Amino acid sequence: MADVDPLVVDDRDLMRLLDTVFTEYSYDFRQYAHASLKRRVTQAITRLGFADCESLRQGMRASGTVFTQLLRFLTVHVSDMFRDADYFRAFREQVVPALATYPSTKLWVAGCSNGEEVYSLAIILREERLLERTTIYATDIDPECLMAAEAGLYPIDRIALFSENYIRSGGQTSLSDYYTTGYGNAVFDKTLRQNVVFADHSLATDTVFAEVHAVSCRNVLIYFNADLQKHALKLFDDAIVRRGFLGLGSRETLRFSDHARTYAEIPGGQRWYRKL
Amino acid sequence: MSNTSLSRRLSALLATPTVLLVLSSIVLYLQIERMNDDGAWVEHSERVLARANDAMVKMVEQQNATRGYALTRDPGLIDTYNQMHPEELVDELAKLVANSDAQAQRVADWRKAFAAWSTWRGPITEVKIPTTEEELEKEKLGRSLMMLTRQRYAQLVAAERLLRDQRVVTARESILVAKRTFFALMLGLAAVIAFITRRHVLGIARDYGQALDGVHAANAKLEDQDWINNGLLRVAEVSQGELSVEELSTKVIGVLAQLTGAATGAFYVTEGDSSRCSGVYAMAFSDTPARFRTGEGLIGSVVRDRRQAVLRELPSGYLRLRSGVGELDPVTVVVQPMVVAGGVFAVAELGFLGPVRDRVLKLTQLASESIAVNVRSAEYRQRLSELLVETQRQAEELQAQQEELRVSNEELEERERSLRDVHDQMAGQQASLEERNEILAEQRAELMRSQELLTQRSREIAQASRYKSEFLANMSHELRTPLNSALILAKLLADNKPGNLNPEQVKFAETISGAGNDLLTLINDILDLSKIEAGKLDVKPAPTPVATVASSIERLFAPVAKSKKVHFSVRLEVPQATTLETDPQRLEQILRNLLANAFKFTDQGEVEVVIGAAESGVTFAVRDTGIGIAPEAHQLIFDAFKQADGTTSRKYGGTGLGLSISRDLARMMGGDVTLQSEVGKGSTFTLTLPRIYTGQRSAPVLEAQRPAATTTPVRRRSGDSAPQAPRVAGPELGFVDDRGKTHEHHRLVLVVEDDVAFAKVLYDTAHEQGFACVCATTAEEGLTLARDLAPTAIILDVNLPDDSGLTVLERMKRQPETRHVPIHVVSAHDHVHTALELGAVGYAIKPIVGSDLTGLFSKLETQFAGRLRRVMVVEDDAVQRDSIRHLLQSEGVEIVGIGSGREALERLRSEPFDCIVLDLKLPDASGFELLETMASDTAYAFPPVIVYTGRALSNEEEQQLRRYSSSIIVKGARSPERLLDEVTLFLHQVEARLPAERQRMLRDARDREAIFEGKRVLVVEDDVRSVFALSSVLEPKGATVEIARNGREALAALAAGPAPDLVLMDMMMPEMDGITAIKEIRAQKQHAKLPIIALTAKAMRDDRDRCIAAGANDYMAKPIDVDKLLSLTRVWMRRG
Repeated sequence: MADVDPLVVDDRDLMRLLDTVFTEYSYDFRQYAHASLKRRVTQAITRLGFADCESLRQGMRASGTVFTQLLRFLTVHVSDMFRDADYFRAFREQVVPALATYPSTKLWVAGCSNGEEVYSLAIILREERLLERTTIYATDIDPECLMAAEAGLYPIDRIALFSENYIRSGGQTSLSDYYTTGYGNAVFDKTLRQNVVFADHSLATDTVFAEVHAVSCRNVLIYFNADLQKHALKLFDDAIVRRGFLGLGSRETLRFSDHARTYAEIPGGQRWYRKL
Repeated sequence: MSNTSLSRRLSALLATPTVLLVLSSIVLYLQIERMNDDGAWVEHSERVLARANDAMVKMVEQQNATRGYALTRDPGLIDTYNQMHPEELVDELAKLVANSDAQAQRVADWRKAFAAWSTWRGPITEVKIPTTEEELEKEKLGRSLMMLTRQRYAQLVAAERLLRDQRVVTARESILVAKRTFFALMLGLAAVIAFITRRHVLGIARDYGQALDGVHAANAKLEDQDWINNGLLRVAEVSQGELSVEELSTKVIGVLAQLTGAATGAFYVTEGDSSRCSGVYAMAFSDTPARFRTGEGLIGSVVRDRRQAVLRELPSGYLRLRSGVGELDPVTVVVQPMVVAGGVFAVAELGFLGPVRDRVLKLTQLASESIAVNVRSAEYRQRLSELLVETQRQAEELQAQQEELRVSNEELEERERSLRDVHDQMAGQQASLEERNEILAEQRAELMRSQELLTQRSREIAQASRYKSEFLANMSHELRTPLNSALILAKLLADNKPGNLNPEQVKFAETISGAGNDLLTLINDILDLSKIEAGKLDVKPAPTPVATVASSIERLFAPVAKSKKVHFSVRLEVPQATTLETDPQRLEQILRNLLANAFKFTDQGEVEVVIGAAESGVTFAVRDTGIGIAPEAHQLIFDAFKQADGTTSRKYGGTGLGLSISRDLARMMGGDVTLQSEVGKGSTFTLTLPRIYTGQRSAPVLEAQRPAATTTPVRRRSGDSAPQAPRVAGPELGFVDDRGKTHEHHRLVLVVEDDVAFAKVLYDTAHEQGFACVCATTAEEGLTLARDLAPTAIILDVNLPDDSGLTVLERMKRQPETRHVPIHVVSAHDHVHTALELGAVGYAIKPIVGSDLTGLFSKLETQFAGRLRRVMVVEDDAVQRDSIRHLLQSEGVEIVGIGSGREALERLRSEPFDCIVLDLKLPDASGFELLETMASDTAYAFPPVIVYTGRALSNEEEQQLRRYSSSIIVKGARSPERLLDEVTLFLHQVEARLPAERQRMLRDARDREAIFEGKRVLVVEDDVRSVFALSSVLEPKGATVEIARNGREALAALAAGPAPDLVLMDMMMPEMDGITAIKEIRAQKQHAKLPIIALTAKAMRDDRDRCIAAGANDYMAKPIDVDKLLSLTRVWMRRG
């Protein structure tokens, strides 16, 4: 191994690393898409100042802090509020009216990252007067992300983009109705998260926790390999009520999955699917 | 070919006689012409003769005229003479005979002779009668001249006559010749025609025969072609659609085998240089090699050669064909490669039990190309789909990379920003940090101190409170002893037996006694309260008949009522025999308190006690028409000592502890006291007690002590010890019926029949008809089984050992669980009318023969198969009702629209419904009340309910409704769609769900376990589905399930009532999650030992550790595994 470029992570190194992550920290990345993981591990090795993959592994084994740092690299947390405005418009116009027929509804945001999507959905639900009746489960595998999501605090320079997206998604007022600014940050109205349960949940290892009326899981499946994608979709399918909804990222699709026939894509719905 | 020959022959056949006829006609024509000529010559001769004669006559006339003139000199004769012109006639004649020189000569001679005569005679006027010799002589010459003329005429005529006769002969001859020619011609013609015709007809016959043969051949060919075309069509049909290679293979080989009558078949698709078996017909995949290399074996060589191969008269054992009846040997095998564009895409192998026809070979050959095309398409499709998946994968990968880039970018920006900030702030912060540190340290120390102080304080307070309670308990006891003596003495004084006290003194003594009594009550109350608070009060449960309680309180308070002139009554709304398992003294104490209160605050009107049934217990409602209580005071009056501050107590007296004690007591006994009141209108205090006290300090509860829920004996559990009619043992069945196996069947018939032999016959017939069958030999057993197994149909005998079948019928029709089941009655006696009136679907009189039995079953079958689905729509608005009706209307569904709750209940009592759509807003009762009534009284059927409401529901309301209805729809833009959806689901699920329900019923009966019996489990879970799953496991075992929807509610539930025997705690919940809740529970001393099992969707070891660390006793991963749940519960459930 000494002869090769230490920054080139091969499959064997990666698997060893992931096995260790799993046995030591119970995070299961073994079924994530390897191409992407390799890039991120390479990045982690450089940034965290390790010589190669093996030393990173040893370091991580020895110290939980190293793992926490590594975890930030292994997972990709990036999103904007109302990102892909059409998706949220479809949610407002197509999904919400159907959800309104239930006396109370549950929504699962799987892979909630730093909470941008959660707040986006909550704002729409508030505007459609459904938020009081809704419980949102916001789950992610990274506890730090969950904390960030729960805080609802975003740098003020991102808010401009959020506002643009909000308008394009069919927002009814101004996004500024929902946040207050100070010290270079914008903090979102905490009543928006009154009915939000932030919880640590892994699509790879954990099971269904509740029956939900809609699942929104965007840009999460892209990091999974085919088996894990299948497993995650099965979880969603188990959780979603009959005639419930599933929303995916712009590059994700049910078309080639086992569920292609049991879900119908909402026309013009921008990756919103409805269970048949 | 034959066509042209035939037409040639036919034209020849037609042409020959025509030509012959034309020829003979020409011959005959010529002959007739000749005949005509001959005839003309005869005529000519006749004409010549006639002319000659005429001329002769005229000559004679002239002669005579001459003579006459000579004699008479009549001038008329001159005219006559002049009129005669014999010369003209002779000239004419000369023209006529110009053709014959001889005759012409004769005519000329004749003319000459006559001219000589004319000349001789001279002009007529000069003629005279010869008188002289000369004249006589001259006359003689004249006469000879005339003679010569006559002679010449005679010669001419004779010659002409001769000529004529000759000509007649000639004419006759030519006629004869014509006749002969005609006959000869006709004969020849006939002969020729006959000959030619014969030849041609023979030829035609031959040609025609050949043509017919050709037609037959063509027909057979067409038929084969048709068959082949049909076959091709079928092959094309099955190959349609987007099939996978495997689906296509199986379909194609199947249809090929069926079309060609092959006994077996296998289909191979080529992959690279080998062929893989991808579909079989009438054989197993394992019977055929999975793969052949090109050139290897028959399949391989066919692939290589790209030609059909047919193997005939194969030796036995070449290929064994297994069928259900034995093994067969195909004798012919056809192997067809599927070729398109020069490539072999698949190979089909067909095995036949006999020789194959050519058309079979042709069909396989012809079908091969289209099949090849289809296989190729399927392969392309598969490849395309793989490529699409790959593309999708790449798109995802791209997206992932983009996301990663974004992250890096953001990180970089972030870093830059923070670096700048950090740099700016570093310097400033350094100083303030140190300063802050010190302040913090100080503050922390301060905090620690105050915390310690607080802990100490709270400890002290708790201790003080306990001391207070203990002190009070002791103190009141100490107080009571002297007070008792004082009271007795005061009483004695007031009685004034010796009569030595004046009335004023007696009154003083009475006042002492009264005040003392009040004091005693107060002390007792304080004592009770402190005992309760100190946890020293015991509940001693014993069977307590409500009737006894009723009469006891009635007795107790009747005098009070009388003295206050208030009407007082005690009313029982539960059956007389209802018995509670509770502490009778405490019960009475509570009731006494409530009643004393009621009487205290009621100056006129009435006080009434109503003993009614609640969901799992009994209610005692004490209603008065007194001053009532303002809403803001409703909670206050239950708080100890609180009332003493109010003005009320000053007017009415009392310690204000009574209600507080009552409520505490009630809660200790597992019940509660609630209040409904309005100022000025009176109050109703309702005490609710469970039928069975389940507190942990109680004596073990026995099933046997449980009272029957109603007085109907039918509903009694077999384990009940309540008096029963002596059981009559039925005959032994003598065979094993389907009891216990019933969950495997959707269709179950219950036979109630004591004639075991006949029961067996029915059992067998039921099996033949595809029913499972359970047999009962007594009426009692029949009723029990009907209720427990919920059969699809019942066959009922009238003569049963313990009861009449008709009574059974009547009872079954009265029970909601069995009302809808079709019942067929069989009996040796005629009770047809009664049975049918009671609701039997049919009646058969014994003896019953086989065909009647089959009829009987099919009659039952139609009863439940073709039944209308009935949906009740309860909605007060007629327009809405109508629109719902329109929405749901479909074939086989009857919609019953109902406008009021009362009517709905009436209909439910008497008719079966499959589903109810219920609006919560009704004119006479709310939907909640309706549902509760339906649930509380078993006389009502309780089909699935869909709540369809216009108003938003609170969490509590939703929770409450969930108990009765699994689907609640809030009206809105998209709600009709969902309503339709849900109703459809129910109607379709009715049958599908039945077996599971039946299964559950069976389980219910068997599965009650002592460890669960009477235990209370608190389920803390916000997911309805899990709650349902947990309750459906635990409740049949005999446990009571309480539900809290989050940690906060769980804490409230624990605070409100006696501790449960087990807590199942979900981790992910709104408001307060499971970990926090467990920690909080453990923080409470009294719950330190409360068994808590954590339920979590997380499955990692450290998740479990976190639960355990928080204080859970054990942990269980979702989704819930029933067996695991049960074993965990058995382990952790508090032992009673």
